[in-house]
This record gives sequence, structure tokens and C-alpha cells, in this order.
Amino acid sequence: MRKRALRIRPTAWTAVIAALACLFGAAAQAQQPICSAWLIESSRFMNVPFGSFMPDRAFVPGSTKPESNIPTVDLPVNIGVIKCGSELILYDTGWKQQDYLKMTGSEHWAPLPDQLKVLGFNAADVTKVVIGHAHWDHAGQLSDLPNAVLYVQREELKSIEWALNYPEPHIRAVNSDPGGCNRTPACGYMPLTIEEVYGKVLKGKAVIVDGETEILPGVRIHPAFRAHTAGSQLLEVPTSIGKLVFGSDAFSSYEGIRDWMTANVQQTDTVQQFLAYEKCYKITGGYSNCVAAHEPLSYTDKYPLTKNSWVALNGGRMAEIALAPGEKSRKP
Amino acid sequence: MPGGRSLLLAGVVVALAAITGAALLHEARSRSVVQPAAQAITTRAEKPQPPALTADEERYATALWAVHRDATRFAVAMSFAGITYQTEDRDARALARKIEPLAKFFHDAEMQVRVMSTPPSLSRTQGQYVDAMALFANAAAEMLKFTEDGDSQRLGDAHRMDVRASEDMLRVGEVLWPGQYKPH
Repeated sequence: MRKRALRIRPTAWTAVIAALACLFGAAAQAQQPICSAWLIESSRFMNVPFGSFMPDRAFVPGSTKPESNIPTVDLPVNIGVIKCGSELILYDTGWKQQDYLKMTGSEHWAPLPDQLKVLGFNAADVTKVVIGHAHWDHAGQLSDLPNAVLYVQREELKSIEWALNYPEPHIRAVNSDPGGCNRTPACGYMPLTIEEVYGKVLKGKAVIVDGETEILPGVRIHPAFRAHTAGSQLLEVPTSIGKLVFGSDAFSSYEGIRDWMTANVQQTDTVQQFLAYEKCYKITGGYSNCVAAHEPLSYTDKYPLTKNSWVALNGGRMAEIALAPGEKSRKP
Repeated sequence: MPGGRSLLLAGVVVALAAITGAALLHEARSRSVVQPAAQAITTRAEKPQPPALTADEERYATALWAVHRDATRFAVAMSFAGITYQTEDRDARALARKIEPLAKFFHDAEMQVRVMSTPPSLSRTQGQYVDAMALFANAAAEMLKFTEDGDSQRLGDAHRMDVRASEDMLRVGEVLWPGQYKPH
């Protein structure tokens, strides 16, 4: 009896391969949690000259051009709150107003633990803190998050220490030097902020990151060195509205990312900042899901990602960006 | 006529020298007049917004600033010495080498600020700054003891002192040099 060879048509092969791909793809996605995300306005820097924030938007008296007719802007200091299953992650932590640190010109500050409570979270439940960089207005309040593990780039820490020991005083200048420091390599790193970072290190609650790393399935730190500071880092987060990329001051301005303009130039290589923008475009498929730290249009329709917003403590605003399936809305 | 030509040449040289000298003198004078004004403008523009202080208080703030500029940098350096020890090398000798000059600086700074002539209105502020320097000095001493006996409790104690010292330094800063820290 002659055996009949099993013959499968090419179209059938294609269908089988496609079905398997779908199956494994869905399984892989099922393993990757979908996270929820909110944005908290930690405080707001008022009446900042637009040109000092975005050089290409400098005010020109008498100009009617939209890019040069706005003299000052109010800059929010945004903190990302990310919930992935049982993990509660913060991206940046703002700064801590005190009797001794009022930061003239800043308004709407409220303690981070109180702001988290508004969202229904306890500060003690925060499991991870990723700081985009260690400047004083982004890495404060760490000691109010007792159980959180801090993620900071080694490059960030090493570059500050290098700068502090640099022989030329103009290059090693810090905020207390005559004339301040503006954009010197160790500028903006307040002793108290660095002590908070050191506190986490001492308690064994710090991970010193070298470049890219995944802190949870699908939640990935991307280095953005010199996009704002030497060791800036981004955070990719999978959500129900697609991937988000939190950028801290590498993404200071949403308009900057959209229109390819540099913003908040500190220890910044503007080329690296553009490459960080590009990273967000590549990861998320555009500019809409790039989360900016100081965008003046935050919490308005003009920055659609953050438009689902409300006013919370002390006039500070919050936004609900994305909810995972089954996650309840925290918007009052 | 060689004698006459030499005389003419010498005359030209002398005239040129005189013109050059006059030009240099003029430049030097202009600079000495212009420079302080230019410096003053630069300093005004770059310095943090001065608080409404009396002339005496201003003098004190300026004198203390000379200490403060290094104290801030060395306070950050102290944290970094600890961070590097914990995360990089665990080299107690290297840690001691970094801390020793800081310990000396803060000890000297405490002495220096303590004897600084202070307007009565700023005596509390001065006290806070002296306390801050003393705390930093004690923190550095604790870290040095750790490098000898390895008792990690000392690092925790030193860290707590550092935090208190930094808070004191910020309290003084809020009075004397508000606006040190700008949006970053």
C-alpha cells in the first residue's frame, strides 16, 4: 500500500504560523502587566521667563508670533504615580517645602504623603522610586517613602562627585558659590537632597543602575545621559492607552517634544535631549504619550494626556492618565 | 647725512614710544574706571536676590558667604564619600582619605564662624550656622571612627547629623541668601 505523503498547502502553513504567533504574543502580553498612571503636581514655579525655560520661546516685546509673545510661564513640578499590580512606583518625588525652604516664587506645594492619600495610596506602600535625575526639585521627600527602593543611575552620582572635585572653581561651582551656578555640572544638587539619596543607600534601599534595566515586566528604565543631567533616565510603562514614557527633565516640555525644541537646559547636551525625545517617539509611536515634568500646559486640554485632571490639595492639580482593567478611578 | 638721518630715526622712535605709552596709559585708566562698574553689574545680576538687610547684616552675609560656598560643596562631598563607599569600593582607607580634609574644614569653619563679628539681629542665625558646622564636623569625625572600627552604626549617626546640619544651613540661607536654589 502506498503511503500518502501529508501535504499541507502554503496558505495553511501561513495560517498555522499566524495562529501560533497570536497565541504566544497574547501569552507574552498577558505576562506583562498593564499599569495605571496618574500625575501629581508637587508644586508650581510661578512667572518663570519663558525664554529661560525654552530658549526658542524667548519673549520678544511687541511680537505677535505665538512662539515669542508669551513673557512668562508657570511651571508645574510633576510626579508620576504608577501602579502595576501590587507595585506602586513613583517617578520623581518633587521637593519638600519647609519653614527653612520656601522657595520664593513657588506655590501650591503639598506634602507628597498627603497627595498620595488623595489618590487613595499610603506613602508606606510605595515600593519603588525612579528618579529621572537627582536635582533638588525632583529627588526630595525620599525619607517620607520608608519602604521604597530608589533607582538612580551610577552615571548621575559619579558625575556629581567628579564635578565637586574639579580643580577649576568655575566648573565645580555649586548654588552657594558667588554668582550661583546655573549650568555647572554640580549645580542644583542641594546637600539635603543628596543626603536623602545617601539615606536610601545606607538603608540598603537603593539600586544603582547602569544604563537600561527592567524593574518589572515591561517597566523599563532607559538611560538618557546628558539629556538634562549626566545620568538622566526615562521610564517606560505599559498602560491601557499604550506605552508611556516618563522623562523628568529630559522631557521638561511636551511642546518641546512635539515641536522639537530644547527645554530646561541645565547640564544638558541638546543633541542628547533630542535623542531622548526620539526614544519616546520610537517607544510610544509619537509624542502624545511622553510625560513631561514641567510642561506649562499640563492638566489642560492642550496637553491631552493630562487633561483628565482636577484640583487637589492647596490648589495643586492631579491627572488620571490611564487605568488598568479593573482599576478604579481615583478622580473625585 | 648719516648724523641727521640717525637723529630723525631716533626722533621717530621716541615719538612712537610716546604715543604707545600714552595709549597704554589711557587704556589702563579706562579699564580702572570701567572695571568696577562692570563687575558690580555682573555681581548684581548673578547673585541671588539680596534680602532686605541692613548694611551691617549685608557685611555679615558677605563674610559668611565665604565659608558657606565651600561648606555647601563639602557637605555634598561628604554624602558622596559615603555613597561611593557603599556602592563602589567598600574601601575604608579611601573613605578616610576623603573625609579627613572635610573634617578639618568643618572644624575650622565652626571656629571661624563662632568668632565672626555678628550684628545682634543675626545672633540666632549665626548660632544656627555654628551648630551646622559643628554637626558636620562631628559627622565627619564619626565617619572617620567608622573607618577605624567598622561600626556601621556610626555611619547612620553621622548621616542623621548631616541632615540636621543641612537643615540648619538652609534655615540660615533662607534669611541671608534666599533664592540660592532655582527651578532645575
